[in-house]
Amino acid sequence: MSGKSNGKAIGRRQAVTGYLFMLPWITGFLIFTAIPFAATIYLSFFEVRQSILGYELNFAGTANYLLALFRNIEFMPALISFLVMELTYMPTIVILSFILALLLNRPMKLRSVFRILFFLPVIVMSGPVMSQIMDSGAAAVTGLENLFVFTVIENYSPPLAEALAYLFENFSMVLWFTGIPIILFINGLQKINGSIVEAATIDSATSWQILWKITIPILRPIFLVIAIFTAVQLSLYSTNRVLSMIQEAIYDTVGGFGLASAYAWIYSLAVLAFIGVAFLLLREPKETPVKIQKRLERKWAGR
Amino acid sequence: MKTVREKIRRLCRGSVIGQIAVYAVLILISYQFLYPILRMISLAMMSEKDIMNPSVTWIPKGWTFNNIRIAVQTLDLKKTLTGSLWFSSLLAVCQTFVSALTGFAFARFEFPGKRFWFVMVLLSFIIPTPVVVIPRLIIFTGIQEAPWGAQMIGTPIPQMLMTLFGQGVYSAVLILISYNFTRMIPRSLDEAAAIDGANSFQIFVHIILRLSVSTILVIFLFSFVWNWNESYLTFTFLRGRIPLLPQRLGMFDNLFASYGQGGGSAQSPEFRINEAYKMAGTLVAILPLLVMYLFVQRQFIKGIENAGITGE
Repeated sequence: MSGKSNGKAIGRRQAVTGYLFMLPWITGFLIFTAIPFAATIYLSFFEVRQSILGYELNFAGTANYLLALFRNIEFMPALISFLVMELTYMPTIVILSFILALLLNRPMKLRSVFRILFFLPVIVMSGPVMSQIMDSGAAAVTGLENLFVFTVIENYSPPLAEALAYLFENFSMVLWFTGIPIILFINGLQKINGSIVEAATIDSATSWQILWKITIPILRPIFLVIAIFTAVQLSLYSTNRVLSMIQEAIYDTVGGFGLASAYAWIYSLAVLAFIGVAFLLLREPKETPVKIQKRLERKWAGR
Repeated sequence: MKTVREKIRRLCRGSVIGQIAVYAVLILISYQFLYPILRMISLAMMSEKDIMNPSVTWIPKGWTFNNIRIAVQTLDLKKTLTGSLWFSSLLAVCQTFVSALTGFAFARFEFPGKRFWFVMVLLSFIIPTPVVVIPRLIIFTGIQEAPWGAQMIGTPIPQMLMTLFGQGVYSAVLILISYNFTRMIPRSLDEAAAIDGANSFQIFVHIILRLSVSTILVIFLFSFVWNWNESYLTFTFLRGRIPLLPQRLGMFDNLFASYGQGGGSAQSPEFRINEAYKMAGTLVAILPLLVMYLFVQRQFIKGIENAGITGE
């Protein structure tokens, strides 16, 4: 047997065994995620009736969508309030966790204590817990309205003040979403090569410049991952009305699965659109942190 | 303008003032982080009078453990705690197994379409759960109503199957953790075993799993916590048939009302829902997780740190 065909045989065996180990996941993905994903789109165009014989499908065209978007007076407000929440929470969470990671990424006492505290919410955060806490007003920053700065902002721009008030109403909950992002950012910060920063300092770059010209470009892919992670977390955890409306529609005999599918599909489109925007804003084509670092290294070394 | 900024910076850098400023900010933020939990503890200890009394903000005047006692009864703690424990453990075992398996496949084998499936793993994380839940429900009611079928809805079987086939809560993250840890195990060990005649499955069991006990613990812990806290799928498929702590907390207000009516009619004015009872209930519900975190916080943070989720 020649060496070449031997290599081929090994390659084929590798492929077969690899797929064997992948088999459970691939099966599950097809049955429980890929096909249901397509099926939901399909179902959303039908009126689904549950009878003794099973499910009865009647083509309904865009009726479910029209019902969801225009005739149901609850769905659109719920969707809009979800969008407002994502729009205000997501950037805040990403930026806050980055700032906290910067503060924690220096030699200091109590560092591990802070990290343990900031990670704690990841463990206890669940829908029922969050709604109980928000219900009891235990997450609000109180007394914001009396702050001088806030009054200034309110005079200057009422919508901005409204957004701020909205944010601070559940500020602790916003903070609770930063648990995993902080750890990811610290991890990224620690991997930045100290020699680039050193070279920049020798060239009399200030730490402000270093932050914007070195740290943030290197961490850009991590920003992307965290933005996506946060968007997904918010879409699942939040105690938003849309999720409960989908639930209710599932059990409702009038609208049924068809309407529920339309709701779910519109909601998912909104979530995916958010992720898409985050992706377009933050992507750096084909550059991993390592590559960016190398590029910057070359740049600074060339000087 | 610039010189002022420069001055401030020089002042901040390495100086005592800068350090104090950083500490001040961190402590303020920590306070805000813990505020709900501190508030919870404080409110849970308050008597009804303290709740009404505007002069009582943090420290209750009439300390009482009565709220906690009633919360424990309302939540039916003994039953729900055991329910949650075994339900979450069961799903976590399934999820750990499939994550280890898939991570091993990605870390050790070259097969056509590997990149494609890797992207699919990431995609499975992004696809919102509500969009796949309806067909999943149809599948399981279908199995249930088939002539050979068995009870599905209301049992842990649907979630067990989904988890076992890699579609559990945040499965993609756990697969990435497993993938990255497996990559760190030197390949030469596999090769040595292969030369000694071990097949891939034996390598997986005897080398990879043996060497990644700490990783498996990390994956298990995350999976346990996420399954414990998951409420959307659990509500859809379990329909409250197994008493679970978070689900019970979700119905706390209603349960409380009925408990007050059914229980002691003589003391019924006492059974008006208020923040003290609600927070006592929440505190009791998160206490098991808090205690667990106290012991294994290092694993949690290490797990995320080394997960390589950020794609290096």
